[in-house]
Amino acid sequence: MTATQKNAWFSLAVILVSLIAVGCLYPFIGWKANGALGLCGLLGFGPLFYRKRSSEVVMDERDLLIEKRAALIGYSVFWVVYVLLASFFAPMVFGKAGSIPVMVVQWSVFYALILFLGVKSLATLVQYTKG
Amino acid sequence: MAGKDRTELSNQIRRFRFENNEMTQQALATQVGVSRQTIIALESGKYSPSLILALKIAKSFNVRVEDIFQLVDES
Repeated sequence: MTATQKNAWFSLAVILVSLIAVGCLYPFIGWKANGALGLCGLLGFGPLFYRKRSSEVVMDERDLLIEKRAALIGYSVFWVVYVLLASFFAPMVFGKAGSIPVMVVQWSVFYALILFLGVKSLATLVQYTKG
Repeated sequence: MAGKDRTELSNQIRRFRFENNEMTQQALATQVGVSRQTIIALESGKYSPSLILALKIAKSFNVRVEDIFQLVDES
């Protein structure tokens, strides 16, 4: 397994753990459960997979190409979802003259990160499976 | 209207590996500076190398690029 694959699996695991933590805490503390998204900070350990060990090639041109394509797919999905949410969901929930709570803005940053990285990681793993 | 022409790339990397003292995929990968997974993807035709990588592979076998990589028209 390449370093890129390991990082993709790690990202998916961290995202899953974060979402499960939010889901488990929500019945008890309500929207404050979104604080569990702070577990996404573990994603900061992802670069450790790219440590160079002896003469082993950590990342080559194929890995870079796969990463680039995956990032493009992740960003495209994020943008479509973001536009849909901002254009239709927000006015429906908060009303045309309503205001968006500050916490929603804060959470949206984490959920945007989760969406982007989740899709990117999945796209990475699918591309490696296809060869 | 003509059918969709697709030009694919075939290669003889596996043959040249065996002809060069049965070089392993890892040995070739280390020689040209890529991972073994990339060599596997190249040999199975699932990945087309960059020009630099193709030249490095040809140089490692001491042959021309055209001897290793060939264009295949799929009309």
